Amino acid sequence: MAFLTLQLLFRRLVLAIPILLCVSALVFGILRLLPADPVGMSLPPGATAADYEKLKQAFGLDRPLFEQYLIWLGKLLSGDMGGSIFFRRPVTELIAKALPATLELVSAGFALGVIVGGAGGLGMFAMRGGAGEHALDGATTIMMAIPEFLWAILLILFVGVSLQLLPFIGRLGPGIQLPPPVTGFLLVDSVLTGRWDSLRSALLHLVLPATALAIGLAPLVMRVLRSSLLETVQDDYITQARLRGVSERRILLRHALPNAALPAISLIGVQGGFMFGGTVLVEMIFAYPGIGNLMVDAVRNHDLPVIQAVALVYCVLVLGINAVVDVAYMAVNPRLRLAGSR
Amino acid sequence: MRLSPRAKAAWRRCLTNPRVVTGGVIIGLMAVVAVLAPWLAPHDPQEQDLLATLLPPMWLAGGEARFPFGTDTLGRCIASRLMYGARIALYVAVVAATGAMILGTLLAIVAAYFGGWVDWLISRAIEVWMAFPPVVLALILLVGMGAGVNKVILAIIVIDWTRFCRVIRSEALVVMVRDYIAAAKLAGFSHRQIMLKEMLPAVLPLVITMMSIEMGIAVIVEAIMSFVGLSVEPDVPAWGVMIADARQTMHQAPWGVVLPVGAIFLAVLAFNLLGDGLRRALDTRLVLGRAEAA
Amino acid sequence: MMTLVAKGLSVSARLAGQTVTVLRDLDFAIEPGKILGLVGESGAGKSMIGRVLARSLPSGFVVSGGSLAFSAADGKVRDLVAMDGADLARLLGDRIAFIPQEPLTALNPLLTVRAQFDEHLARLGVPAGDRIARMIDALTQVRLSAPQSLVERYPFQLSGGMCQRVLIAMAFASNPALVVADEPTTALDVSTQATIVQIMRGLQRDHATAMLFITHDLRLAARVCDEIAVLYAGEVVERGPARIISQDPQHPYTRALQAANPPLRGPLTRLVTLPDQMPGLSALASLQGCRFAPRCPTRDASCETASPELRLVAPGHWVCCAPACSGSRPAVPPITRRSAEASGSEPILVVDTVAKHYPGKRDWMGRRGQGVDAVKAASLSVRPGEFVGIVGESGSGKSTLAKLIMGLEAPTAGRILIDGHDVTAPSSATRSIRLGTLQMVFQDPQSALNPRRPVERLVTQTMEAARSGASDAERLARATALLAETGLPPELINRYPAQLSGGQKQRVNIARALCVTPRLLVADEIVSGLDVSVQAQILNLLLDLRTERGIGLVFISHDLAVVRYLCTRMLVMHQGVVVEEGETDAIFARPQHPYTRALLAAAPPDELDSPWPPAPVQETLDATA
Repeated sequence: MAFLTLQLLFRRLVLAIPILLCVSALVFGILRLLPADPVGMSLPPGATAADYEKLKQAFGLDRPLFEQYLIWLGKLLSGDMGGSIFFRRPVTELIAKALPATLELVSAGFALGVIVGGAGGLGMFAMRGGAGEHALDGATTIMMAIPEFLWAILLILFVGVSLQLLPFIGRLGPGIQLPPPVTGFLLVDSVLTGRWDSLRSALLHLVLPATALAIGLAPLVMRVLRSSLLETVQDDYITQARLRGVSERRILLRHALPNAALPAISLIGVQGGFMFGGTVLVEMIFAYPGIGNLMVDAVRNHDLPVIQAVALVYCVLVLGINAVVDVAYMAVNPRLRLAGSR
Repeated sequence: MRLSPRAKAAWRRCLTNPRVVTGGVIIGLMAVVAVLAPWLAPHDPQEQDLLATLLPPMWLAGGEARFPFGTDTLGRCIASRLMYGARIALYVAVVAATGAMILGTLLAIVAAYFGGWVDWLISRAIEVWMAFPPVVLALILLVGMGAGVNKVILAIIVIDWTRFCRVIRSEALVVMVRDYIAAAKLAGFSHRQIMLKEMLPAVLPLVITMMSIEMGIAVIVEAIMSFVGLSVEPDVPAWGVMIADARQTMHQAPWGVVLPVGAIFLAVLAFNLLGDGLRRALDTRLVLGRAEAA
Repeated sequence: MMTLVAKGLSVSARLAGQTVTVLRDLDFAIEPGKILGLVGESGAGKSMIGRVLARSLPSGFVVSGGSLAFSAADGKVRDLVAMDGADLARLLGDRIAFIPQEPLTALNPLLTVRAQFDEHLARLGVPAGDRIARMIDALTQVRLSAPQSLVERYPFQLSGGMCQRVLIAMAFASNPALVVADEPTTALDVSTQATIVQIMRGLQRDHATAMLFITHDLRLAARVCDEIAVLYAGEVVERGPARIISQDPQHPYTRALQAANPPLRGPLTRLVTLPDQMPGLSALASLQGCRFAPRCPTRDASCETASPELRLVAPGHWVCCAPACSGSRPAVPPITRRSAEASGSEPILVVDTVAKHYPGKRDWMGRRGQGVDAVKAASLSVRPGEFVGIVGESGSGKSTLAKLIMGLEAPTAGRILIDGHDVTAPSSATRSIRLGTLQMVFQDPQSALNPRRPVERLVTQTMEAARSGASDAERLARATALLAETGLPPELINRYPAQLSGGQKQRVNIARALCVTPRLLVADEIVSGLDVSVQAQILNLLLDLRTERGIGLVFISHDLAVVRYLCTRMLVMHQGVVVEEGETDAIFARPQHPYTRALLAAAPPDELDSPWPPAPVQETLDATA
């Protein structure tokens, strides 16, 4: 079973390679439409035409487009993403520093969204027709009418500024030392090195941004799970189980829920990918040093090497989460699992 | 035009659905305010009154009746800016959603009808598009094309056609296996006739429902892009710009953020309610995400 | 002691503000070891009884009166209608078991057979260590081979017949006092049906179980049941011993049901049909007097005002009909078959050893899967005015063959000729050759009629195609003529499919095919979804079209009796191959191929004395579709 799952995951990842190539060409192509001149903008005032040409050559911007792409792709495969025009540092280094922060944030938001959404969906189904369902339904309507980045601002305003309950700037409180880097993941490093003060501070800093992200996912999961449960309980095998005298509780948890979870899982796959998009603004608003923040800085400064590298990293992350969710879907559904193994 | 009893019943269900009515009324009012903004607004949206900066709304202590919703850091009238901002929001919502709808629906029907390599190509394109978080794709498109409202609209169309295409293609595939499509072929219908007369009407309820939801999404995307300064010119009032400006002074003057957030909330809520109501009234099978499960 | 006694059982529904009696004053009783058949067409309310037992009535429906007294082995009598829900749940699956209509969807798709059977045995209190042995034993009793490996399978890996056997094994695992089987064989092929019936009846006899057998098929009920109750519009119209009900029915409706079934043997006479079809729920509310009166061939004025009561006509035989009803039978003309020689002109359609191979899907590495040979080699020819039947079970390739003939799919081998023109490869040229000559009637009018088109625009759809350029007036005139020709009332012309009954929809479906006055119709299972009385109307319509228009027909069906009634010649298809072809009468008299013989043996014969079902067929795992 475990081996089969790994095999399926591997297969999904292989299938993602051509998509990734298309994505990289698309990113590269779009960014070359650029009307603004990044080279000119990164020069100090009073630079000469020769300085300009020198810099252009240094960035490789004087070659034909296709050649530039191949060079970029070749370097990319060897782990070299070029140098940032604005930060004047290797892009790889910038991303390596920022990526763990984003992954921690997304994991927290994803887990929160799936748990709240799953529990809410079951709750809505259990209270169907009653006041509880209407209350939850109203809550999902409001949650879905405000995008994540505005939730971020509202959370800062009400929970951070007015109530002063939780911190809302960065990953750690002022005066708290970073734990010695082991994996780059703040939470993991804190645990590994026994730095409970930084663990506590990092967790507190994670609450608001993760909540803002989870609000984007949870109401969708709730609604899909609820309606899919309502549909599933009409199915023949549910009636048949009832006619065998199986208890209602067992019918719900063992028969209806796994079947109803299938559409919710595939929704989570798509929305989980969108959640990475949510991090861009949420990180910027919380001054959270992840790749979203990096992206916004790069966009503001037309820092092409950073933009294209970060965009590509985002796509890799989306494809990764899609693959994981697909495999989860197959694991639940024997029809796909067995068809896939043939 | 003669309406079938089915269409009449659907129309009646729409008009009596509380969600459709609520959403429709809110959008209608917003549209009226947006159109009449030059006459309704108490001030020019760019008019600065540096003696009256960061005034609270009139019902709070220190508020003034000539600035009903207060003023921002430059002493501009928030109420007037919200009214003018509605113009941008609704303009983007209508144009971008219509564009994405036309492109997505067209490709969806063509893919489902012809199948084969046409379908393969369109499906692979959707897969590539789906690998991008929409915000990230929008950002790089706007970096590539340059900022501006019309560029934002173009970006939304280029990104969100897939949203329509995915859902409507799977619905159109369900229609394709209906025998009435085969019957139309045997009756000598041309490809165009089958797609327009037999398939399009069948997916239309779904298209209308998604269109409503897409307008809400377009409002959000425009707000995000004007928030990061990639949409309107700096002198044009848009809700996202207002939030970005007021964020610096949010501690002293929270209303500067809360009011435009409220405006976005109201617009998106109205489009979502309308879409949700239409989904129920038109009995489409669109439960967000359910279409992917097939 | 009776196992189940229904007394005055009534179910009513609230519909658009008024209360409709869906089931009225039902009385019946079942003894241990006996099978009671509930027979009726769709809308008769026969499935409502199972739902009452299970308390799963649709919303808005309530039991408005009467009782269902159930007595199990302990001698205690319980009223299933009045008893507490929790107590009823304890009886379900244990003392009362159910066998469903759709075996493939009645098992949870995410759990193995073993997991589901195990859950059931656990609920019955079987200790964990004994369950697998009990399971294997039960599955062996329903003649499933290799039960050890079967239990590890998921439902989608099994055929419908195998799933149904698993469900039968589960139903009998608790040795219940009562088994309710709701159309248990309707979703299955003829040959599987025979086996399932035999297994079910064997277990029922061995365990002396009382059984309620719900079916639409009077002929099948006559073979299976000890007693039959015939339902019409929510009322029992006739009840008595199975033999008497099937051979000498007294109620005009039962007689009509019997007369609407084409026989498998003996001389053919034109089927006697009833007008219209069973009233729907909303029509029930406004019906006065006898509910069958509007369709009754022998009604008189009193039938429309007074409701008749069940009365005893012979020991154990009850009829719900006014005493005045004489029950005279109308005379019926015999059918004249036009033999192939009589129409001896050149064939319209020649299909020459066509084959259709569907390539397999590519896997993740781009390798092609095995694919399916839907049709391996099929040949046929049809002369003007000739009715040719194609018989086969599901998966035999008969529907694919229809698509190939119509040019909806391209054959991978062979040739198709129309009037000598080669139309093998679908193109715009072959399409126009077909258009005037060949039309198709589709199986399911629900799917074949665009719900957004009114009848007028449906039947004249061909006139809307690019080249025709017909005016609105021309279309209206053509539509009016087509409606008259297919026996549809003219006021239907502006209706939409949702406003039509099943029989009317199928007539519209036929009218559309007739619009271009084709010389040959291809009809794919066009009566399989219809009730017998409506089926008979459609069959007669096809015969009339032959007489009046000299039209030819390729009639595809799984139903041997129907093919025998209509067709002069027939082909038998099995796994994509035509295994037998010839004159219908000759094939029925002397079937040559073993498959044809098995197929003929599997259909329940009309004469109750001839043995049925035949020796059971073992289904093996490899036979999975």
